[in-house]
Amino acid sequence: MSLLAAIRKLWQSIAPRTRSDVEEEFRSTLDAYQEDVICQGLSEEQARRKARIDLGQPAAQNETYRDAIGLRLFDDELGGDIRYGLRALRRNPGFTAVAVLSLALGIGATTAMFSLIYAVLLHPFPYADADRIMNPHFVKTQQPDVFQSFTLSETQLDDLRLAAPVDSVLGFTKGDLEISNDGLPEDIQGVYLTENAETFLGVRPLFGRMVEPFDAGHPVVVLNYRFWQRYFGGDPHAIGRTLEMDHAPYTIVGVMPRSFAFNDVAGVGDVYLPASLMDAVANGPAPTYLPWIKLRPHVTVATANAALEPIVREIMKIHSEASLAWHLGLQPIIVPYQQDLGRTLALLLAGVVLLLIIGCANCSILLLARGRTRRHELAIRTAIGASRWRIVRQLLVEALVISCTGAVLGVAASYWLARLPLVLSPDSFPAESVIRINAPILAFSVALALLCGILFGLAPALRLSRNDPARSLPGRQAGVVAAPARRRWSVLIAAQVALTLLLMATAGTAIRGFLRLTQMPLGYDPANVMALGISLHVDNPAEWSRIQSREARAAYIEQIREKIASVPGVSTVAVGANATPPGADVQTSFVVDRSGDVEEPQARVMLVGQRYFDALRIPLLQGRLWSTDENSRGDFIAVVNRTFATRYLSSSNALGRQLRIPALPFQNRFTASSAQSTAWRQIIGVVGDARNDGIGRPVVPAIYLPYTTLMRQYVDFFVRTQGDPLTYLHSIRAAVASVASDQQISNGASTLIEAIEHDALYSRQRLFSILFGVFSAMALGLALVGIFSVVAYSVAQRTTEFGIRLALGSSRTEILWVATRIALVSAAAGIVIGLAFDSFLGAVLTHWMQNAVAAGSLFAAAALLALSAFLACLLPARHAIRVPPAEALRHE
Amino acid sequence: MTKPVELPQGTLEMLILKAVSLGALHGYGILLRIQQISGERLEILQGSFYTAIYRLERRGWIRGEWGESENNRRARFYSLTAAGTRQLKAETAKWTDMAAVVAGILHKKADEI
Repeated sequence: MSLLAAIRKLWQSIAPRTRSDVEEEFRSTLDAYQEDVICQGLSEEQARRKARIDLGQPAAQNETYRDAIGLRLFDDELGGDIRYGLRALRRNPGFTAVAVLSLALGIGATTAMFSLIYAVLLHPFPYADADRIMNPHFVKTQQPDVFQSFTLSETQLDDLRLAAPVDSVLGFTKGDLEISNDGLPEDIQGVYLTENAETFLGVRPLFGRMVEPFDAGHPVVVLNYRFWQRYFGGDPHAIGRTLEMDHAPYTIVGVMPRSFAFNDVAGVGDVYLPASLMDAVANGPAPTYLPWIKLRPHVTVATANAALEPIVREIMKIHSEASLAWHLGLQPIIVPYQQDLGRTLALLLAGVVLLLIIGCANCSILLLARGRTRRHELAIRTAIGASRWRIVRQLLVEALVISCTGAVLGVAASYWLARLPLVLSPDSFPAESVIRINAPILAFSVALALLCGILFGLAPALRLSRNDPARSLPGRQAGVVAAPARRRWSVLIAAQVALTLLLMATAGTAIRGFLRLTQMPLGYDPANVMALGISLHVDNPAEWSRIQSREARAAYIEQIREKIASVPGVSTVAVGANATPPGADVQTSFVVDRSGDVEEPQARVMLVGQRYFDALRIPLLQGRLWSTDENSRGDFIAVVNRTFATRYLSSSNALGRQLRIPALPFQNRFTASSAQSTAWRQIIGVVGDARNDGIGRPVVPAIYLPYTTLMRQYVDFFVRTQGDPLTYLHSIRAAVASVASDQQISNGASTLIEAIEHDALYSRQRLFSILFGVFSAMALGLALVGIFSVVAYSVAQRTTEFGIRLALGSSRTEILWVATRIALVSAAAGIVIGLAFDSFLGAVLTHWMQNAVAAGSLFAAAALLALSAFLACLLPARHAIRVPPAEALRHE
Repeated sequence: MTKPVELPQGTLEMLILKAVSLGALHGYGILLRIQQISGERLEILQGSFYTAIYRLERRGWIRGEWGESENNRRARFYSLTAAGTRQLKAETAKWTDMAAVVAGILHKKADEI
């Protein structure tokens, strides 16, 4: 509203009096005059007439007023220019459509990218003072990219709050909950927040309230927007109702807005609960929370790191020798996104800006080309006294009319365009960034439109206004005079072609990189396999006591596995925990016998059932896999991958070697481990390398252990089926339910193909190839339209010349050459310049996209561009040789 | 009846300032007063009259306010602002000077040159 008020104020200073105010005053004067005239003896009707003849019409008075205060320039002259511009555009629908679309593409794409950057990098979080919120880690001093988060208990959080640089601390932890209201049970994710959540986050709820200090110990719940939409159908009366979770009633006290998706660290919660409820659920050790620290204003991260390091060590009582290798590192919560996304978005922004420049060049070319047909009109205007400024102004206003129309279309399109990257690569953007068209974005696009209008309008306007009427007015000669604007065209066309080649080369590189990624050997076969997870019911004491022991739990999991395997169409079912490829996970230290040479060897420990290798088709290279008996015992054996064997063992005699994983049992109260889990294990087999550190990265050493050696409350099943695995989901659910009626498959049932698509590198490369493919196709289209229209216009203009040439005996080939020469030469120059640029671009792209520019794709792009440019010249030029000379000479 | 006088360009605004300086007046009142002071000899072009008023108001020399006219009609009354008073003084001085110079020249006889 402040914007409207500002506009109103500005308008008031320009025109202080309203139309009705001016009219009313004039009417009162009219009436007074009329009465006087009546007094002089005229009839009322005559007096009325006389008053209006002498003083004028009230309706016209407003115009007098605006004229008097100098508003006519705005209203009539500029308004006239705009109206004239609009009319001229309507008269040339073809020209208008091409010009407006060229700009709409560029402005739309640029606005979309800007709104994306705005939403993702400038304002990604809805929290108050989000720039002061830090995510604390312990960072390995030697390797700064290795870090570990830590959790604190309630009292430790309180201690941390007392530290000097700390403004406040939020503790949070996730918990799996199950809705047990009625009907279908559903697994949902709960996030428990310390009760200062409302003030710490400072997000205004959509309805009701956030978790507040007085909620401590009360069973209240706040809903996430998406959960509220899904489960309550967006019912605003959900507040005050009861949600039954894990057979306990919770009162709904609030609904958070759509932009609130707390958070990326613990996982986005469906519901938010007071942390004190954790104590009520658990009867083991005190629950711990991941901390977010909000620093006091003006405290730098470095100062805070230094000040908090001893305090955190004291609070957590970590003083061991080994811990000195780590130091505290506070990370602003935006940083993980900035690192990856900043680069991606900068590259995309560069792409759209190129597109915009190409669009502007196109409009300039069109205006110049069309200007030749308008020379007569402009000459007449100059002849009857229009100043050069007046003509430049009119041409600029016409250009602005085009650019503003383009901007309107572009902004409308950007609303959808901006969502495209989020759809193509959902995991690389913060869940909380909401893309919307807001005031800064509108201001940006208006500024962009004005800038573009002036950019592409100024050169043609200056060129066309420099016009000698004496030469232009005798119109009959226009057909044979040389075109003076040609040089400008050629520069513009060359620039356009060069930039297009730049975009095409980038697109080629991106597409090649992506294709190479898709063709990389995975080491496993993801087709027709899905991973589905189940959470064991740790929160239900009755059920928990049944499966708490390791043996009972393994039996329970095996029972479910067998039931799933019995579903018709399912060929193999394997168990795994945290072993979904190609995902990365932490590596663990281990010890190998007879080797002291490798410093601190690390490997990824994968807990799987023996059928895992069969289900994923990971080949056994040496030795054997473990048996069912060995699987249920869990101890004394291990299988490693080929990378492990070559890196840590001499691969020829890997079998029979011993290894030990002292750090294996990361216990919590829900874990059950086998008796000898940290004892020596014999390597009984070597399997092929399957991607286990992201799709584009080398395979890391892996140790496969029977999953029964360490069981947590969550387990995955890998199901290989005949045909699309998701079609079996229903019967698999039924199979699982036949073991335990309320055992749910978690929301995360997904195919391994999907797991690949969610890989960060994969989705980023796909994003680049699709978007740059689209950009370069648009750029190519624009450049071709530019070339086509230049040739078409010049052929239309030079019909008489061609007629004369034909009559004088030129061959048709010569005529074609004359007609297309300039466009062809400039396009060729553009390609050469583009190629030169691309060799420079190569270095930049290697750095930004992790892909080298391939000469092959570059020359393919250049060839494609050359061919299309040739066609775009030839098609309109055909008209030149079709003209019968006699007719051409009569032309005009 | 005396012969009507045509107004030189630019003087209408000065006359309006003068008329308003004698007391707040509405538009028609200003018109009547100028005619009255001039002894009905000035023929004011009606069209240019309001243009002059608007321009004076825009420049901040007169200020308009709505009020009740003598026969209970709503009318906009104009009064002189401080800037207007200064302007009127300057214009009057300028006009008197110019008139004196022009009159002096016109009244010169051949032998006086």
